[in-house]
Amino acid sequence: MLKYIVRRLILAIPVLLGVSVLAFMIISAAPGDFLDAYRLNPSISKEQLTVLESQFGLDQNVFVQYFKWLGNVLTGNFGYSFSYRIPVFELVWRRLGATLLLSISTMIFTWGIGIPLGIYSALHQYSPSDQAFSFLAFIGISIPNFFFALLWLFMAAKTGWFPIGGIISQNFGDMSFFGKIGDYLWHVVGPMVTLGTSGLAGLMRQMRGQLLDQLRQDYVLFARAKGMPEKNVIYKHAVRNAINPIVTMFGYALSGLLGGAVLTETVFGWPGMGRLVIEALNAQDLFLVMATLLLSAVLLVIGNLLADLLLAWVDPRIRYRLS
Amino acid sequence: MKKLSVLLLVLIAAGLLFAATEYHVEETWNGKPGGTFYYWGLGDPKTFNYDWAQETSSTDPLGFTVATLLEADEGGMPTLPGLAKDWWFSEDGLTFFVKIREGLQWSDGAPFTIDDVYWTFVDVSFIPENTANGNGSYLDSNDQLPVVEIVDETTISFTWTVPMVTALRQVGFRPIMPKHVLEEVVANGTYPEFWTIADFDKLVGMGPFVITDYIEGVRIAFERNPYYWKVDGNGVKLPYFDKLNYELLADQNTSLLRFEAGELDLYGPTAEQFPRLAEMAAEKGWITGVGGPALGSQFVTFNFNTTDPVKNAWFRNDGFRRAFVYAMDRDAIIESLYNGLGSPLYGPVSPSSGFYNPEIEQFAYKYSITRARLELKRGGFDWLADGTCVDADGNPVEFELLTNAGNVVREAISNIIVDGAAKLGIKVNFRPIDFNTVVGRLLDATYEAVVIGLTGSVDPGTGWNVYRLDGGLHFWNYPPDYNPDDHITEDMYVLPDWEKRVDEIYRLQTSAVVDQDRYDLFAEFQMIFAEYQPVVFTMAQNFLYVYKNNIKLPVEKLTPATDLLFQLEGWWKE
Repeated sequence: MLKYIVRRLILAIPVLLGVSVLAFMIISAAPGDFLDAYRLNPSISKEQLTVLESQFGLDQNVFVQYFKWLGNVLTGNFGYSFSYRIPVFELVWRRLGATLLLSISTMIFTWGIGIPLGIYSALHQYSPSDQAFSFLAFIGISIPNFFFALLWLFMAAKTGWFPIGGIISQNFGDMSFFGKIGDYLWHVVGPMVTLGTSGLAGLMRQMRGQLLDQLRQDYVLFARAKGMPEKNVIYKHAVRNAINPIVTMFGYALSGLLGGAVLTETVFGWPGMGRLVIEALNAQDLFLVMATLLLSAVLLVIGNLLADLLLAWVDPRIRYRLS
Repeated sequence: MKKLSVLLLVLIAAGLLFAATEYHVEETWNGKPGGTFYYWGLGDPKTFNYDWAQETSSTDPLGFTVATLLEADEGGMPTLPGLAKDWWFSEDGLTFFVKIREGLQWSDGAPFTIDDVYWTFVDVSFIPENTANGNGSYLDSNDQLPVVEIVDETTISFTWTVPMVTALRQVGFRPIMPKHVLEEVVANGTYPEFWTIADFDKLVGMGPFVITDYIEGVRIAFERNPYYWKVDGNGVKLPYFDKLNYELLADQNTSLLRFEAGELDLYGPTAEQFPRLAEMAAEKGWITGVGGPALGSQFVTFNFNTTDPVKNAWFRNDGFRRAFVYAMDRDAIIESLYNGLGSPLYGPVSPSSGFYNPEIEQFAYKYSITRARLELKRGGFDWLADGTCVDADGNPVEFELLTNAGNVVREAISNIIVDGAAKLGIKVNFRPIDFNTVVGRLLDATYEAVVIGLTGSVDPGTGWNVYRLDGGLHFWNYPPDYNPDDHITEDMYVLPDWEKRVDEIYRLQTSAVVDQDRYDLFAEFQMIFAEYQPVVFTMAQNFLYVYKNNIKLPVEKLTPATDLLFQLEGWWKE
């Protein structure tokens, strides 16, 4: 097993290298560069722009730029952000907490509700409650996130039940330890529900469909025929077989943990990665974009690996061998 | 007797060593100290290093922590004392003297001295690598930096080779930086990476507030600077507010909700939001205000030097450009985009500036397709039977108009231009494209027409990089030597006399020591622009604000020249 993991990780290196080359070249091929906003500043002269170009290294050939960057990355230096002037991973690190808080609670919300609801719907196929859940889930999937977020904030402003965006209250500093935790949780509800409702329907429908498929299999008929209790038939046999594709989905979901959600973050004023990345893209803050792209590539590789390992764990028929 | 004289001597010596702090006294202010002011900013700061801050998200919060030699009056002009208690020009106008206050202290308690001033200019501002903006604005018309000399312990002088009136603004409005904190990082070249967002607790300044906390995406917390150097008429140390809570929000709609919920004390609404707020104001206890048109501008620029000589002839034709002044239905855009809260602009200086020349109104520009046709006719254009506009050689008039996609205002302006041109039989192909591509096309002069905007200031002199012939942003008519590699050659370049005069005005204005002379020069500059319309200005949104009625301001009205938060040290809460 360990050998298998090591092999997968080694294979990931050329993938990551390829991602970095492609990403770097595509960003550089896009018209303009970071200094374009400076170029339209009436108080910056032409002479000053050449000074800035050489300071940022933007006056060099793109291949020279890439290999310099790669050389630095191999020594562990991922470069400075052009606009913030601090090492890129320090920036990412500062946003990590808020991003993880939101993405993990969203994941718990989506998976914690989506899977039980999917199972329930499959077991009560075409019942009024099945229809009602599907209806609600599809409403969730069809309202755009930013609009749902605005509706939520409007509701929060009118009722005062929830804060109007943000991650902590104005008097956060005066709170006790548990008060602070509660304050975080109170603030995360809005963005979590916004993001969660859009992912809920897909997961619920997937679970429902898979389980319905399994329930029609011969082994279920056989188990029922030999008098096995219905609970065992469903949870020990049908659900365990139905869960495989869901585990794969889970692996992919892991890779999105640090991706952030731009629109929702913007409306709720949530200081997550999504806003950082979109601002970096707009400003062509090269090294910051590269760092976040590489980070998501690494997470995708790890997420895939984890999904495969999980699959082997839940399904005894699957074995990985070195071939 | 002897003892007494010794004591006296000691006392005098001590008095010289610890000179009494020369506070600035605001005689008419008598507010109540205390309380927290709640304000907000759009987006997080990128840096806390003033010399590398470019976006307002960084410069706005930093503005509370820095102080300058001179301060702006209500018209935005450098006429009020700041760290300097006195300033004057030499007889010949070449030397600008500044006398600073004695006994002031930095926010960390260190003494503020003339060395700080000298070092800020000579070691920071004048070295291109040390600031994002570079030293271009300190150069006189001979492209020389001033010679800076420390005259005595409180006086410093700046000497140029020609009189330099913009010294008042360039020297006066430059925040003075703490030499004792920054000397080392400036010397070893790491200044651009210093005072980043991770260093918020290390900032030292002379401004009314200091930053005590910064939580990413949440807020910047400020406290009063205990060493601030202003007092009010009752001797109360300013600022009045103990704390300033600067909420960092990402979205205009969220901030509106936060203001409505009473979590913010002041809000600068968009024109779309303003009518609703004004309606609720009486009931909620808010005070709303409408200032004049903003200082920044949106305009259309036609390229005199495209790669197509036929098009160059159109764009250089004064009648052609004037036709577009008439063909643009500005009121329609103001109505639809700004809820009527905007003003049309026909020249490069906003009516909110003290330099605005009302005489340009004699041209009586307005929306009129008939007059647009007349201008085209005078310019030698004609129409085919099917209504297509053609030039004197019979070429149908058609060109491409660019703007950066996603900018609602610029896209709306572009659409109005397309509409107006269609009524003149001119086909305009509007292409909204990526911002960086627009900038690239503008600067290498390969565009045909572009709708773009630039930041403005009350003083038209700050636009030197746009209006001087060799300016980096003189994009409608770049000279052949601007970029030796581009397509603009000596024989295709045409320099009208009025362009030469504008260039001359921009060189003369820096030496116009008498205020009236400078005003007259800019008045002439505006007349030239209004007449020839090298770039066609469009309109500006009016300055809008709303605040809670328990907030008291030291001024009656806020305008684009004062901006929001003018003299914040004098604001207080009832």
